[in-house]
Amino acid sequence: MTVIPEQVRQQLKDRFETVLTGPVNLTLYTRPGSSRLILPAGVGCATCQDARDMAELLRDAAPEKITLDVVDITRDEERALADGVPEVPTIAVASDAETGRIRFQGLPTGTEFAALIDAVERVSRDEAGLSEESLEALAKLTEPTEVMVFATPT
Amino acid sequence: MSLANRMALASPQVRAVCVEANEFPYLSNQFRVRGVPHTVINRKAAFVGALPEPDFVAAVLEGAGVPVEEPHEAPSGPTTEIAAS
Repeated sequence: MTVIPEQVRQQLKDRFETVLTGPVNLTLYTRPGSSRLILPAGVGCATCQDARDMAELLRDAAPEKITLDVVDITRDEERALADGVPEVPTIAVASDAETGRIRFQGLPTGTEFAALIDAVERVSRDEAGLSEESLEALAKLTEPTEVMVFATPT
Repeated sequence: MSLANRMALASPQVRAVCVEANEFPYLSNQFRVRGVPHTVINRKAAFVGALPEPDFVAAVLEGAGVPVEEPHEAPSGPTTEIAAS
């Protein structure tokens, strides 16, 4: 992403070098389009290119630990359906090639970018950082549970 | 949203989806998002505001229909049922 200064890229590299321990797989669900290309509603994707730049920024900060899988949902609709990804851009974070259960729908900027970096680091370290009480409570969940958190960049 | 992500990391049952509210206005309208963070559980229950970890976990369990004891204070933003639309 050209708007991210080199200094920030370097900071991210330095941080990931010390913090990341295990592999992280990012899956970017996308479709062709950009903010610079006007397409009929429902066809284009205003933020997909930026999301791709952001995902590549993360991968390039630690290419030995982070892999990036790009799924174009116009070419692989079945994969998007199977993974339960209805919208693009979506970035899923996981420790392996399985479908990530940590997802960012839309371009994660501002506080969401910080949360994305936090997610990458926690997945890499397999460190949820929750209390024993919370873990015991979570063990009571026996059905798939979706937690959607709406946020804005500021 | 960090707590939701951490819950997804801790439990294979949890899927955390952080939604950029401005980018998906139809979702923001569907779930009547007026302020952020706005958390929606299984598209049925919701609460607004950043809760401390024990309250957040309790609210998610409550929203998911799991009976919870009351080891902590009740969530400051009570979970509300979302009317069918």
